[in-house]
Amino acid sequence: MNVDTLTHAIVSGMNAGLEQFLEGTLAAMLPVIWLALLGLHLGRPYILDMIDRFTLRLGADLLWLIYIALRDILIISGVVMSFMFLFPDVVSTDQLPLTGGFAAVLLFAVLLIKLMGDPDHNLRDFRLVTWLLAVGALFYFVPYLFGVMFNQVATGQLLAVSQFLVSNTNATWAVAIGYITTALFAIMGAIAVGYVLMTGGRAEVPETTSK
Amino acid sequence: MNPNDVQTAITNSLVQGGSQWLIATIVAFLPVLWTMALMLHLGRPYVLRTLRRCGLRLGADIWWMSYLLMRDALLLITFGLSWFFFEPNIVAGMALPITGSLAALFLLLSLAVKLSRRVDDDVNAYRLSTLFLVIGATLYYGPLVFAVEANSQSYLSGFTAAFTSSSNVTVALVLMWISLAGVALVAAWLFVRALMSANRSMGRRLKKEKTEVVIGATGGGE
Repeated sequence: MNVDTLTHAIVSGMNAGLEQFLEGTLAAMLPVIWLALLGLHLGRPYILDMIDRFTLRLGADLLWLIYIALRDILIISGVVMSFMFLFPDVVSTDQLPLTGGFAAVLLFAVLLIKLMGDPDHNLRDFRLVTWLLAVGALFYFVPYLFGVMFNQVATGQLLAVSQFLVSNTNATWAVAIGYITTALFAIMGAIAVGYVLMTGGRAEVPETTSK
Repeated sequence: MNPNDVQTAITNSLVQGGSQWLIATIVAFLPVLWTMALMLHLGRPYVLRTLRRCGLRLGADIWWMSYLLMRDALLLITFGLSWFFFEPNIVAGMALPITGSLAALFLLLSLAVKLSRRVDDDVNAYRLSTLFLVIGATLYYGPLVFAVEANSQSYLSGFTAAFTSSSNVTVALVLMWISLAGVALVAAWLFVRALMSANRSMGRRLKKEKTEVVIGATGGGE
């Protein structure tokens, strides 16, 4: 072994290790983001109740704006951080929840409904968003809890189930789900772009007052 | 191998590895920025709907300003971080999406539309800016997902070899030089436009001030 070989080995090790560390950190942050966005979405009645108690209109406006900004930024962050589920190399190397990509798709669908509908004022849209978030959370938390976080203590049949739910021990399924996720993202992205091009970026949905 | 050799190897690794890690991290972070920028740009109807419901002008102004700042700053930062797609050594030496430089050019075109026309008032300008942004994002995402991040998939090996910069250096460098020329042209146009606009507006102001001084002097004389 000479200096060049050793240098090359250390560089490769550093890059591979740090990449996996970064992806692992993102994967560890995602459950926190999911919990926070679910909490904020489900906490809507509490916020509305608080807004009614404000005596000053400015305070009520600011509370509502901060609430929706936080809630929606968390949803966007969830989609963005789930981008790694689209990369075949990443899902077949790292320990990720098998259906994390589907969870990201449902989060993206929530954003699409927010863009084209009005979940804050239309009951049907709000219900749809709530269902999508609930199913998305199941798609993320079930394989995360019973796969990624369970495979070291599980035995027998449970171990087989656990390994099935982790992307790098079920790479064929994980890559296939990755491709389906990519296709769904592309379709929904195209719908969003089509809608925005048609409306020219204007708010087109008529005002409704039912809450 | 003696301790000096190991020391040299570790030093070289930290320098080379650190540089590669930094670039690789930016490459990994760029899809995040692209996606955030796209979402904020496409989310304009939602932001406007929220804005309409603000009871007070102050809340609406804060909301709109925050949105504009975040959206446009993200576009600018994404273009800034895409700069290494125009550095030949990096394009040839690292596995990058081969059309990354073209994506950066389209991002700059979208920014140029924003700078030259009132995108938030002119529907057609908004549509043009959106189109540039979507083309740029597609040029970035496609090779990233199916080439750079799909090395492990043997059935994609042809696509991977063709669309990764380090394995198709000639095409990557040609695309890079073409994009660089495009960036230079757009930048020169923006420079000339900014200069002419400043000359026009400042000239008008100076002329107005001069007229006021003359009127003042004439009035004082009477």
